[in-house]
Amino acid sequence: MNEQINTLKNELGKAVIGQEAMIEGLLIGLLCDGHILVEGVPGLAKTTTINALSRAIGLDSKRIQFTPDLLPSDIIGAQIYNPKDHSFSIKKGPLFTNLLLADEINRAPAKVQSALLEVMQERQVTIAEETFKLDSPFLVMATQNPIEQEGVYALPEAQLDRFMMKIVVQHNSEEEELDIMRKAASKSFGEVQAVLSIEDLHALQAEICKIHVDKELERYMVQIISATRDPARFGLEDIAENIMFGASPRASIDLYKAAKAKAFLRGNDFVSPADIGYVIHNVLRHRIVLSYEARAKGIHTDEIISSIIETLPIP
Amino acid sequence: MKNNLGNTFLRVIFLFLSFSMLQAEDFTHTFNVDKQDPYVKEAVILTLDLNQTNRDVVMLFNFNINKSEDYTFQRLDIQETDSYHNAKVHYVYIIYPLRSGDINITFNLLKKITTDESIAYSFSGDRDNVKTLVTTDTQINLPPLSLQVNPLPEETALVGDFSLTHSIKKHQAKAYEPLPLQVSIKGRGYPPLLDSLLPKDGNFTRFTEKPIVKSITTPKGTQSTVTYPMALSHSQSFTLSPIVLKAFDPQREKSYTLEVPSQHFDIQEVAAHSLVDRVDSPDILKEDWSWLSTLLGYIVVFAAGYLTALSWKWKKKQSQKASHPLIQKIQSCKDEKALLQVLIAADSRHFTSSIEKLEASLYGNGKINLNKVKQEAEEQI
Repeated sequence: MNEQINTLKNELGKAVIGQEAMIEGLLIGLLCDGHILVEGVPGLAKTTTINALSRAIGLDSKRIQFTPDLLPSDIIGAQIYNPKDHSFSIKKGPLFTNLLLADEINRAPAKVQSALLEVMQERQVTIAEETFKLDSPFLVMATQNPIEQEGVYALPEAQLDRFMMKIVVQHNSEEEELDIMRKAASKSFGEVQAVLSIEDLHALQAEICKIHVDKELERYMVQIISATRDPARFGLEDIAENIMFGASPRASIDLYKAAKAKAFLRGNDFVSPADIGYVIHNVLRHRIVLSYEARAKGIHTDEIISSIIETLPIP
Repeated sequence: MKNNLGNTFLRVIFLFLSFSMLQAEDFTHTFNVDKQDPYVKEAVILTLDLNQTNRDVVMLFNFNINKSEDYTFQRLDIQETDSYHNAKVHYVYIIYPLRSGDINITFNLLKKITTDESIAYSFSGDRDNVKTLVTTDTQINLPPLSLQVNPLPEETALVGDFSLTHSIKKHQAKAYEPLPLQVSIKGRGYPPLLDSLLPKDGNFTRFTEKPIVKSITTPKGTQSTVTYPMALSHSQSFTLSPIVLKAFDPQREKSYTLEVPSQHFDIQEVAAHSLVDRVDSPDILKEDWSWLSTLLGYIVVFAAGYLTALSWKWKKKQSQKASHPLIQKIQSCKDEKALLQVLIAADSRHFTSSIEKLEASLYGNGKINLNKVKQEAEEQI
């Protein structure tokens, strides 16, 4: 199985240079049926990665550029009247795909965001009176631009919770950027071929279910999540005032799945504390609501998470 | 000198070489020599009298004896009257013939005619406005004076009436110590200047200086005192051969000998190394490598400065790194689990290698060196 993952990574490497964190996040999301929120400046190969992933697995992919005048029907579809035969027909929106890149999701108004996030959770779309199940897999990779704050609608915390992981995409290293520049100038990026099928993907997802998680580690994960809600109980009085709301139970579920997926990607059939450590920041980063004091101090959620990990003894 | 020139003069045949009435209307000239057949290097006194006869003009004379290798001469006196229209000039020369046989002494006489006005005009000038005395010059051809010079006896070194004295301060010395020797020749006659006084035999070292000459020349001849300062040295005792100078007195027409008797010097041998002047002796010539030590000094100073700067920079970097909070946390970890906890709490992707080693140690069979893993993790920061 691990060979299939390596083959997939190598195929993605033809089109995407670097950005291992984003690719790994996408794979974890794909294997766990989760959705990924990506934060990063424009031009970091987000669309390229989605397209390459879809081609490598033979999936359908679509991209929606979110704008302030976008309507829910623009993404989910609408019932259209046909005057010829005086009937209504369903026009499906771009949500009906396997991999959806929701670019700059925070530019759309709240009702559009809600429509998308509901679909992400329910994995079905209701148009008029008809409900449509979305194909599996269905992965949304939404992006947020951290630079522009004007004219954006910040995602509510409750809706952010629907994203399995939030990945902060960094710029490539100089060597990687040199490689990108040369390949882009000479148009020598490789053509991504389908190396996995949907069936293969489902088989991989089934493998992940078999990954063993020790009971102590399960408790460890729950303690981590609990510590975000009640830090003082775990001897983290100093960070208690920095947290307004802790992570939801959905965080525990996603952490559990993500840790298993990470262990699988590492070629293990069991989860270790390190696997939890690898994914914990991505899973909790967008789920902890900082207090005003913490924001005023410039404290980041990653620091809160690190403090919890450092304090709670690992099994 | 036992016979002075005055007595000789009376005995010498009066020679009237030439009394011509050349330029009779202007002046007369009269040559006188005290002898016509001198010996080589015997003094001959020549007098010349020039008397103006034409009183209408102002007359000036310029007389010289022409130089020659056959003789040497020196002007002893010149007497002139102050009268412009009645010039009388009396010249006295001493001449030493330098070779035997017939020699001609030639002259150069220039007669200058001018006027009172020209003299007055020339006197009207000053330092910054010199006015030339305008003269009409006439070269007078005087016949040469012939001398029949007699040769000297063989090996004659000195001509005249001389005496010799010598002084030797000591006859004993240490090896290579100089032995001062001074020889003085005093008397009347041709100046006793000799190229070499010391005998050529003997392998001792000779030190000589330029002789000290004191002489005065009068119509009676040249009175000289010539001193030869010398020194001798040798590593062992030696004998200086006698110094014998053959002289000839033309007045008496007699040869005589001046002599420094043979001298023996006792030399005390000493160890050669004790002769080295350890106070004033120059350093032994050797290759000067001082530049190399200077260069090395500069290199050492440069390297020290460079390394100091580097060490300071390295120390600063180390202190900055040591003050990094994560490093402090890593260093404070006492076991693998604590270290794993710290590393996964930090950005795990940077410590993948260290985390895998710790995992293998904690949950597998791997064995690790905790300090090595710590060091590896610190290097990733």
